[in-house]
Amino acid sequence: MLKNWIIKFAFFLHGSLTYKNIKQLFSNFLNNPDYEYKKYFDVFMISLIIVSITILVYEVKHKVPYWMDFFDIYIVTIIFTMEYLARLWVYNDWHSLVVKEYGESQFLNRKFSLWKPTKIALNGKVEYLFSPTAIIDLLAILPAYRPLRVLRIFVLFRVFKLLRYTKSINQFLSVLSSKKFELFTLLFLLLFITITAGIAIYVFEQNQNKEIKSLFDAIYWALITISTVGYGDISPITPEGRVVSMVIIVTGIAMISFVTSVIVSAFSEKLTELKENRIIEEINKNEEFMIICGYGQMTRMFLKYYAPEYNRRYIVLENDKEKVEEAIKEGYQAIHDDASRHDVIAKFNTDYAKITLLALTGSDIANIYITLNAKALSRKIRVITRASTDKIAKKCKLAGADSVVMPTLIANRMLFSAITQPVMYKAIYAILTGQHLAQLDEVNLIYHRKLVGKKLNELNFKEHKLLCIGLQVGISGEFIFNPPMRLHLREEDILLIMGRKMSIEHFKMLYKEIKYV
Amino acid sequence: MFRQKVFMFGYSQERLFLAKELGYKLMGFSIIVNDEKAYQKAISDGYRSVKLLDVMDDTALEELPVKDNDYLICVMDDHYLNVFLTLSLHELFPKAIVVALSDSPHTTQKLKMAGASKIIDLYQVSANRIHNILHKPVATKLVERLLSSDEDFSFKEMLIPKGSSLDGVMVDDFDFTCHGIILVGMIDKRLSNQFIFITSGLENRFDVGDTIVCIGYNADLEKFEDYIKQ
Repeated sequence: MLKNWIIKFAFFLHGSLTYKNIKQLFSNFLNNPDYEYKKYFDVFMISLIIVSITILVYEVKHKVPYWMDFFDIYIVTIIFTMEYLARLWVYNDWHSLVVKEYGESQFLNRKFSLWKPTKIALNGKVEYLFSPTAIIDLLAILPAYRPLRVLRIFVLFRVFKLLRYTKSINQFLSVLSSKKFELFTLLFLLLFITITAGIAIYVFEQNQNKEIKSLFDAIYWALITISTVGYGDISPITPEGRVVSMVIIVTGIAMISFVTSVIVSAFSEKLTELKENRIIEEINKNEEFMIICGYGQMTRMFLKYYAPEYNRRYIVLENDKEKVEEAIKEGYQAIHDDASRHDVIAKFNTDYAKITLLALTGSDIANIYITLNAKALSRKIRVITRASTDKIAKKCKLAGADSVVMPTLIANRMLFSAITQPVMYKAIYAILTGQHLAQLDEVNLIYHRKLVGKKLNELNFKEHKLLCIGLQVGISGEFIFNPPMRLHLREEDILLIMGRKMSIEHFKMLYKEIKYV
Repeated sequence: MFRQKVFMFGYSQERLFLAKELGYKLMGFSIIVNDEKAYQKAISDGYRSVKLLDVMDDTALEELPVKDNDYLICVMDDHYLNVFLTLSLHELFPKAIVVALSDSPHTTQKLKMAGASKIIDLYQVSANRIHNILHKPVATKLVERLLSSDEDFSFKEMLIPKGSSLDGVMVDDFDFTCHGIILVGMIDKRLSNQFIFITSGLENRFDVGDTIVCIGYNADLEKFEDYIKQ
């Protein structure tokens, strides 16, 4: 009976959109670096940590007012506890496991065991509870228990909580962890030399040097000497002891240089990666941006004319390091990465941002692969692909490209027009290259609300030195070429006009009014 | 009727479409290549007027039957050779129209200096198209329709013949929309040989010998062409 209720409850949770949305919201705040409001939560938590530590330091020499103590014990701790529990909650889904297990047992006609999914879910939760960050979170809550004053020192763990919210500290640790093997080897070597030297000095000087009373004193001296700190509170007095000193001083200098070089080399190896990650993080903050794959002639040309318009809301991904350096030298935002790799595109905020991807490499195969990669990750990514022939263009469309650009086809058409219709060619060339003397442009009524309800003949195109070429009618998307002047404009219509750049800009300015939703 | 001859220098995979369209539309169309493989390909594709010659040799080029106002299209794969050829052709046939294909602003500048009358920058046009796809999708679709030979919708240039009903009429006084077409621009012979966009704000008059460029459905354009002949 109880089992049935639990199954029903699990199914209820599984089917509840509200529950899912709430859990997703919490997960976004706690774990999703791409979520636009996460930064506010992070700032809030960092502020709490700083306040809590400030109170601890202040408390050393001053009497803390009651309200401050109350705030530290109750408010901060309650918030930290809630955060701790919320992280535990969003770590995994018990109900999904129950539903899955129930479905499988029904399908296989096997007896349903509630314990199996519960055990998996519990294992997951325990795994989380023993993770270093969760332990830090728990220790940061403990200082609130006042009867044990010793627990106050655990406030320091609140400092470690900062690790969660500050990327630079995390990046520093990740750089160090990349040299884990070298650093651990050095640590063991350090321990070995320190203990050996400590034992040696203990053996040589224990009876003669009144400062060395125990093995601990000897090891303490060895560590202070090997680290080149040398407080001078203990110093060897026998010739044998001095020889040991000389040996560990030389070893200490060598080890410090070694450790420094390991850390520096780790940083220099990771510096480019860190910089590139920063660029991606910056890009991900935008609601709308562009990923350009390949830095060939077409990308250069595109950026030459339009980079200022995109105002750093674009990123070039290029396989060739030299080309990346060239792009950076020319002032463009580029990183060395392979756009055909799933994890590379997955670094971008595909869930929340409106992304346009331009697959402009010189290889048709690479462009198709990049298209598939982007579309496999998210159908929402708008992909424009370059193709060399119409057969490849068809393949690009099949791969999911929203638009295909064929440079050779456009050039061929232009050449054909230049020869067969030379007068017309000038008009087409001006329109295609967006020259100032004649442009074909769109007036979207979403942004030009003042036009809604107006009749076309009220707009005096002639007076504005414009030509009304056509009208795309609202949601239906029907295109009317040379529309009758008696037509009324409606919301979501798009008017197609032609004229000089300044005439178009003036016309748009006159009727500009954005509908805010 | 197209009277000039067209010589296309180069026959690569990318130019097959252009050669096909030009060969289909024009009587005097020749392909000039400088390697045996391209020569054999052009012959096997059915072109009758194909010549194999060393394009770096001025004496060989001089022998080509190029007349004034003929079109010389430089579409060699090697861009260095393309610029060199443009220079040679301009020197040998100064009154012919040299049309060249470029792949960068630097090459465009060099081709201009070499004497090309018209230069098409492959990537500038493509870059602009990407921008248009993103920001002017409706306009891009229309331009695509206008450029595609498969569509029933296009640009057309028409010469105003003697005795035309348009002769002497002011541009502003004539209603093109009732003919289902739009006047984009014209060459007003009285003023110059330059193409003027109708949106430039100048007051023009249609005269015999002027060329007008209109957009519309092919059937309407044909009808209008017949109309102005009356």
